[in-house]
Amino acid sequence: MAEHLTFKTNNIPNICNNTNHNDSDNNNDENIETIMLPTSFLKCSRSDLVVLISRMLTFLIQINDRNEILTENNSAMIPTQTDVNNKNNNNMINLTRFHSRVPPNISVNNYLIRLTKYASLEHSVLLSSLYYIDLLSSVYPEFKINSLTVHRFLLAATTVASKGLSDSFCTNSHYAKVGGVRCSELNILETDFLRRINYRIIPRDDNIKLCKLEKKSSQFTLDLGDLLAANIQPELTHPNSGYNVLNIYYRKMVQIVGLLKNSTDKSKKVNYIIQTNYNDTNISDIDDNRKVIQIYAQHITPQKRNYDDHVNILTKGEQIQQTDKSVMSKPEDGLPKVPKYSPEYAPKYNILNSNE
Amino acid sequence: MSSSSSQFKQLEKLGNGTYATVYKGLNKTTGIFVALKEVKLDSEEGTPSTAIREISLMKELKHENIVRLYDVIHTENKLTLVFEYMDKDLKNYMDSRTSGNSTRGLELSLVKYFQWQLFEGVTFCHENKILHRDLKPQNLLINNKGQLKLGDFGLARAFGIPVNTFSTEVVTLWYRAPDVLMGSRSYSTSIDMWSCGCILAEMITGKPLFPGTNDEEQLKLIFDIMGTPDEQLWPAVTSLPKYNRNLPKKEPKDLKKLLQAHTKEIVDDQVIDLVTGLLQLNPDARLTAKQALHHPWFGEYYQQQ
Repeated sequence: MAEHLTFKTNNIPNICNNTNHNDSDNNNDENIETIMLPTSFLKCSRSDLVVLISRMLTFLIQINDRNEILTENNSAMIPTQTDVNNKNNNNMINLTRFHSRVPPNISVNNYLIRLTKYASLEHSVLLSSLYYIDLLSSVYPEFKINSLTVHRFLLAATTVASKGLSDSFCTNSHYAKVGGVRCSELNILETDFLRRINYRIIPRDDNIKLCKLEKKSSQFTLDLGDLLAANIQPELTHPNSGYNVLNIYYRKMVQIVGLLKNSTDKSKKVNYIIQTNYNDTNISDIDDNRKVIQIYAQHITPQKRNYDDHVNILTKGEQIQQTDKSVMSKPEDGLPKVPKYSPEYAPKYNILNSNE
Repeated sequence: MSSSSSQFKQLEKLGNGTYATVYKGLNKTTGIFVALKEVKLDSEEGTPSTAIREISLMKELKHENIVRLYDVIHTENKLTLVFEYMDKDLKNYMDSRTSGNSTRGLELSLVKYFQWQLFEGVTFCHENKILHRDLKPQNLLINNKGQLKLGDFGLARAFGIPVNTFSTEVVTLWYRAPDVLMGSRSYSTSIDMWSCGCILAEMITGKPLFPGTNDEEQLKLIFDIMGTPDEQLWPAVTSLPKYNRNLPKKEPKDLKKLLQAHTKEIVDDQVIDLVTGLLQLNPDARLTAKQALHHPWFGEYYQQQ
């Protein structure tokens, strides 16, 4: 298992967190500033983007953490031989390369600020890391973004995105220093990530779908027949489309965690709203309006359905004996209520629902 | 099917690429030759950025005029990229046809066929929003059937993904566009079209058109032949970071005369018109790959169809 993240470097300051904002002022909502964000993520300030992404990650982590088993001291359960032998033990965590033994001692927000600052992450790199959560978990179901995996995942994702998409990038030894892991470990994370997603690092339409197909057929590339069989147009992209993916993630993120009350990450007391009204068909700045609206709609409906399912499951009394008391704790405002130990729910809380 | 290294027999070394060693290989199951590009995984660098780009972009580019990437094989400390085998590159080929000191270009009919295939490949890249950014004879591979394919996508990038920084350290100096030489970071597909123009001229004459040794000399060589740009010809030129106001004002030279001096065949007006369209100093005035494919010089290809 991976060792703890450490921050011992000469020129990069040692950031230790935990001094978190003594939030005493949760009373007056009127004082919360509202920032109107541009429709295109490229025009959004990087610091706002970092706030939003860390809110989004916190949102996902919270849901996934509830689905994973954390022992009392918050550390991952290390598989014992009996656990390994007992395949029916569905309470087991599937350990991945991205797991830390205990949640690292730096908040997601501070970690992301640190990476952004010392590894000069660009807008596209930041947003791609969000997209890569969906990409990786679609082909690697054992992987979930949670408080044990988020740091290593972020480090690997931003490293790969910088090197693959951006013209300004650093060596892995630099990223490793900033990220607090040994370089050899980052190299392993990078290779693991690239291999699992079959090098499909370019965020475009159909990429996740194609990645899944490749994995399913264990082929490196698909031929025309495979594509036609899967009802995918053989041309890579339709002219002038296929590059809205990052903007879709950006808008979706603002929609989900833009308002402070929808996020448990309260590190910045700001409400974000986006200029475009999603219900308005005149979405400017988007190449393919229909697509955005379609994805938006897909996101809304399943979530509603989940609430219903949730109620059904509870009223039917199914899974009750698997559920401990903490599950019944009141969910935060705006957070979907998810019963514990129901893995079938977990993948649905990726940023975008991939249509199965 | 995913390959393993045991599936290939490694044959002779073909050369050293920008970040790798390339061997000829034989696929033992199919009996087909391949090119095996071995990339060392560096302990400081991890997987080289060039390899990440090349693999992520090329695995999707399936076109007759782009070298196919069949697979990637992982071993402990290296990556092996399995490519379609090509007999040689355009640089080797041109060199092999030059005897002694006399530089000689290729037959114009062959130039036309190669250039057409080059535009086909570049058009496909640009339609798929990929910039090659390192087009030069060494990166154009040819086989015994006379096919030409684009290779080496280590500097390429997807340009539909908006990123703030565009490096100016792209394209081998001789084939680098004047706007990039003057520090423009907002270039797009036109950067590849300039290189196509340089390659076309080089195929005709057998020698590089602008063989500079540094950025400054490179610009001087370009302006000597194409004329010094001014705001009238290229409105944004004076605001480029490395624009030099004190450059001597040169008039464009007669390209036809220049190219004709190195070939026995008659260089016709149409090919000169095409070269001129590609070597426009102002990137916005340069022909696009698609426009170039429809240039009248290729008219005979259309009539055949």
